[in-house]
Amino acid sequence: MIFFKNKSKKVSADTVGGVKRQTKSKAKSNFYLSRKNAWLLWLCQCLNISVIALELSTWMLAIIALSLAWQALLLHQGREKGNSLSKNNPATGQTHRKNSRQDHQHIFRQSIGQNTRQKKQQATNVSPIVLGIFALLGCVAIVITAKQVGILASMLHLLCFSYALKGFELRSRSDFYQLQLLGLFVLAASLIFRQDLAFSLITFALLVLNLAVLLQFFSFEKAFVTNIKVVIVLLGQSAILAIVLFLVFPRLSPFWQVPLAKSAETGLSDTVKPGDIANLTRSTKLAFRADFGQQKVPNYSLLYWRAMVLEEYDGRQWSRQHKSTRNKTAVAAKNFSFDNSATEISPLSYQVIVEPSFQKYLFALAPAVVTGDAKGIQAQADHTFNNSKIISQAKSYRLTSYLTAPLTLELTKQSRQLNLSYPQGSNPRLEQLALQLQHNYVDVQARAQAVLNIINKENYSYTLQPPLLDNNSLDQFFFDTQAGFCVHYASVFTFVMRASGIPARMVTGYLGGEYNGVTNTGDNTGQLANKGHLSIYQYDAHAWSEIWVEGKGWLRVDPTSAVDPERVNSGWSTQLLQQQSELNNDLFSLYRMKNIAWLNALRLQFDALDYQWTRWVIGFTSKQQYDLFKNWFGKMVSWKLALIIAVSLVISMSMLMLFLHLLNRSKTKPQSLTKWQVIYQKAMGKLAKQGMEKPLSMTVNDFAKQVRQQCPELAIVFTRLSASYNRLCYQMLSTNEQEKLMLTMQQQYQQFVQVLKIIDKKSSRLYSYI
Amino acid sequence: MAATAKFSLARPVRHFFQKHFERWLARRIPNQPEHQLNSRNIMIYPTRFGLAYLGFVVLVFLLGTNYQNNIILLFSYLLASLFISVMLHSFYNFSQLRFYSVAKQQGYAEQPLYFVIKITTEKTHYDINAHFTDKALNSQVEKIELCQQGSHELRLVYRTLQRGKHWLGRVTVFSEYSLGLFKSKSILDFGHFAIIYPKAKSLIAGQYQLSGQADEPSIDSYQSTNSVGTDDFSELKSFVRGESKARTAWKQLAKGQGHYSKHYQAEQSQLQWLKLSEMPSNDVEIQLAYLSFLIGELTASNQSFGLQLSAELSNQSMNISPNSGFHHQQACLTALALYS
Repeated sequence: MIFFKNKSKKVSADTVGGVKRQTKSKAKSNFYLSRKNAWLLWLCQCLNISVIALELSTWMLAIIALSLAWQALLLHQGREKGNSLSKNNPATGQTHRKNSRQDHQHIFRQSIGQNTRQKKQQATNVSPIVLGIFALLGCVAIVITAKQVGILASMLHLLCFSYALKGFELRSRSDFYQLQLLGLFVLAASLIFRQDLAFSLITFALLVLNLAVLLQFFSFEKAFVTNIKVVIVLLGQSAILAIVLFLVFPRLSPFWQVPLAKSAETGLSDTVKPGDIANLTRSTKLAFRADFGQQKVPNYSLLYWRAMVLEEYDGRQWSRQHKSTRNKTAVAAKNFSFDNSATEISPLSYQVIVEPSFQKYLFALAPAVVTGDAKGIQAQADHTFNNSKIISQAKSYRLTSYLTAPLTLELTKQSRQLNLSYPQGSNPRLEQLALQLQHNYVDVQARAQAVLNIINKENYSYTLQPPLLDNNSLDQFFFDTQAGFCVHYASVFTFVMRASGIPARMVTGYLGGEYNGVTNTGDNTGQLANKGHLSIYQYDAHAWSEIWVEGKGWLRVDPTSAVDPERVNSGWSTQLLQQQSELNNDLFSLYRMKNIAWLNALRLQFDALDYQWTRWVIGFTSKQQYDLFKNWFGKMVSWKLALIIAVSLVISMSMLMLFLHLLNRSKTKPQSLTKWQVIYQKAMGKLAKQGMEKPLSMTVNDFAKQVRQQCPELAIVFTRLSASYNRLCYQMLSTNEQEKLMLTMQQQYQQFVQVLKIIDKKSSRLYSYI
Repeated sequence: MAATAKFSLARPVRHFFQKHFERWLARRIPNQPEHQLNSRNIMIYPTRFGLAYLGFVVLVFLLGTNYQNNIILLFSYLLASLFISVMLHSFYNFSQLRFYSVAKQQGYAEQPLYFVIKITTEKTHYDINAHFTDKALNSQVEKIELCQQGSHELRLVYRTLQRGKHWLGRVTVFSEYSLGLFKSKSILDFGHFAIIYPKAKSLIAGQYQLSGQADEPSIDSYQSTNSVGTDDFSELKSFVRGESKARTAWKQLAKGQGHYSKHYQAEQSQLQWLKLSEMPSNDVEIQLAYLSFLIGELTASNQSFGLQLSAELSNQSMNISPNSGFHHQQACLTALALYS
C-alpha cells in the first residue's frame, strides 16, 4: 500500500517537477556568507598567512597580498552593488536596511533580495579561467624556484598560494570548509619553524579565531565575541583530553624522511671578522638557557659558554679549521672527550636547552663531558660540542663541567703550528710590537699580561659602533681608531701572541647570562636552593682568546676585561645598553625594559614561563614520557603501557562527558517547589489513592469541579483548598497576606484529610457489612 | 556488465537493510504527536566535513611526528579532542527539544499545505532544520537559526496534484551546530498525512443558483423541475450577505420592515443531492472537480446539500446525507478525495 502511494507521489512530483527542480537547484547554490563573516574570514586568511610570512619568499608574499587585496576589493564592491540596488527599489531597501542591522544576508528571502544576492555573487566571483591561469602561473613559479628555496619551503609556498586563491571561489559550503581546513593547516605548518611560548600562544589565538569564524557560520545571530567565548570554552573542555593524549600517547619515530626546515641561521657564524659580533649583539633574541638545578650558579666571570674555536687566520678573518685538516687531527686524537676520572675538581652539572639556531654548534662551559643521553652530540678536540644535525627545534642536553681543570695539556705538533701561523706582513706594526714584547718578557703569561696592560692603560674604548677598518686591518684599530668590540681586542691579542711565538687561538661563544629566578639562602640546611635558570641572549655573544702555556694547557685570556671590566664581571654597562637601544631604535628595547621595574618583572616572568614551556612541552621526548610512566606506575611492560593509555583515555573521555552532562543539567534544573505547591501535591496524592487523578493538562478549577461530581462529600473542603492554592499561585500578594493564606490553606488541608478519613471509614464499614 | 550485475545484487541487499532499518526505527521512534529528543531518538554521526576534519587531524599528527615537533603534536591532539567535545556539544544542543505536530492536514490539490511543527525549548538551541524524510516529496529544508527559550514554529510545505489521502512518512529533524563536524539527527514520526481534495473546477456561475431563469442547458440535468412559482414558501429569514438578491422579500423591504429573504421548501428539497453521475463530464476526475467547486460554493452560501457518489442511495459510506456548515463541507470534500 505504502509502496503504491510512494509511486503515485513520484508521479505527482514529476508533474510538478518543473517548479521543484528549480527550487532544488536554488537550494544547492544557496550558500552565502554574511558580510561580517566574509570579512572575518578574510581577516583570518591575512593573519594565518602573516604567521608564516617569514618563511615565504618576497615574490610569493607579494602575490598573496595582491590576491587578498583583490578579495577585499570584491567584498567591498559587493556591498556597494547591494546598496545601489536597494536605492533603486524601496522595498529591497527596507529589507536591506534590516539586513545590515542584523548584519547577515539570510533575511534576503524575498525574490528581489535573491536577485541582489545573485548579482552580488557575480560581482564576487572571478571567472574560473582567469583564476586557473593565475594558479597555473603560480605553480610554475613555485616549481622553478623549488631548487633554490628547498622542498619544504616550496611546499609551504604551494600551501599558502592555494590558501590565498581558494578565497576567490567560495561557491558552496564545501569550499568554505576547505578554506577553513587549509587555514588550520597553515597554522600547524607555521609551528615547524617556531615553537616558543609567545608564538604558540599567537597560534592558539588564531586557532580560536578560525574556529569562531566557522562557528559564526552556524550561529551568526550571536555576536562574534560570544562565539569566541564559546570556542574558548570548547577548546578548554577539549584541553583535558588533549593533555592526557599528550602525556600518554606514545611518541612515534618519524614515519618517513621529511625535508628539513632551512631557516635563516641565527647566532654565531663559522667565521668572525672584527665588528661581526657587535652586529649580533643588537639582537635581543634568546640563544639558549642553562639550568643548574640546586647548584650554585658560578660567578658571572666564569660563565664563558664556548661555542666555536677559530684557529685559522688569513689576515682578515678568523675561521674554523678546515674539514680536511680537522679530520687529520681527529685521527691523531681519538678521544676528544675530557677525561673526568683524573680530576679532583668538584663537578658542575647542568642542563642546556638550545633554541633553534639552524646551525650545529652547541654550548658548554669547558671542559665538560656529556652526561645522560649523548645521542647525536659529538665532542670535538677543542672542547666544543657539535650536534650531528642542524638544530631546527629546541634541544636539551646535560653536561658536567670541571671549570678549573686545565685544557689539553699536550699540544700536537700540527696544532702548535696552526696556532702560531699568521700571514706575514699583514699587520706590520703589531708584528713589531710583538717582537718587542717577546724580547722584553720571557715569561709567557707576563707577556700576555703586558698586552692587556697596554690595552688597559691606553685610551681604548669599548663600543658597539666601532669605526670601520680598511681591510679589517688590526694595525689600524690598535694604533689609530682604538675603539672596538670584543672581537677587535681578542683578534689583536691573539695576533700579538702568535707573532710573539705563543700558540694562541680565538674562541667565540657567549659570556654570562641573565639569571631568572629566586635564590633562597639560609634554609635549615644552610645550602643554596636555586629555583631558576640562566637565559643567554644573542647580545651576550662574545669572543675571547686562549693561549697555550706549557704545563697549564690552554689558558683563557679575555682582553675585553682590560678595556671594559664590567662586561666581564657583571654584564653590559648602562652605556652599552643605551647604545644598543639607540641602534635598535625600537620601543621595547632592552634598555627601556630594564629601566621600568614592572615591565622588567613581567619580562622575567614570561621568560620563566617560556622556559617551563620549552622544558616540559617542547622537550617532552619519548624518554621523558617513559621516565614519567616509570615514576608513576613502576617498571614498564608493553601491556602495562597499553593499559595505561587505554584507561587514561577512557577516564578523561568520561570525565569530559560527565562534565558536559552536569553543565547541561544545571541549566534545566527545576525550580524548587513552594510550600503551597507541596501541600497541593500532597492532596493530589491522597486523591489519587481514592482513584481520582488529575491529568496534567487539566486546570485546578476543572479538577475541583470533577471532584465535586465524583465525591460530593469532599466538595466543600477541596474547593476551598483549590481556591487558596490558585490565589497563592496566581495573585500578587504581599508576604504578609501570603503567610496568612498559607496558614488557612494548611488548615483547609487538615480538614480535607479529616473528611477523607471519614470517607475511608464509611467505605470500610460498607465493605465489612457486605 | 559487471557493474549492472553488481547493482542488481546490491539492490535487494539495500532493500533488505532498509526494511530492517524501518522496522527498527518504528520500534525506536514510534508514531506520536509529540516527541522529546533524548539519547533514545537522537542519531549523531560525523558529516563529510567531520570525516575530512579527522583526516586533516591525522595529517597534522603525521606532520608533528615526522618533524618530531611536540607543539604540532599537541595541536593535533587538541583538534582531535575538539572533535569529541564538539560531538557532545552537538548532542546537547539537539537534545531536550520538544516537537509537536498535528498529523492531519487537508486542502485542495495544487495548493500548498502547511504542516506546522511546534518546537518548545527550555534553553537556547541553534540551527534546527526540518524536512520530510521521504526524498520523493522534494521537501525544502526549513530552518530556525536561533531557537530561544519558548516555543517556535516550523512550517513544512507539501503540495501535490493528486487528490487522495497521502501518507507523508517521517520528518527528519537535524542540526549541524557547533562546527558542522557532526549531524545530530532524528527521524520523527508524527503520522503525518494529507487529505487532498480535488481541485475545484468552476461550473459557469448560476448553474446551481436558485435563479428562475434556467438559461444554462447543463443546469437542467439536475434542476429540471425547478421554477420559482411552484415553490412552497416556508419562511422569511434575515438577509445574509451573499444570498441571492432573487430571494429578497421586496415587499417587506419596501415597507421598511428590514431586509429579509424568502426561503422555500421546494428549493431545498430539490437541491438536496449533488450527484456525481449528473456532473457534465465523462472523466471522473473532472466530475469530482466540479463537485468540489459546488460544495465550496454551496457552503459559502450556507445552503444545505447532500452528496451522492454512488448510484445506490443505501450505500452509506459513499453518500452523505444533506447538511450544511464547515464540518459537513470537510466531510464531503474528504469523501471526494477518497473516492475511488
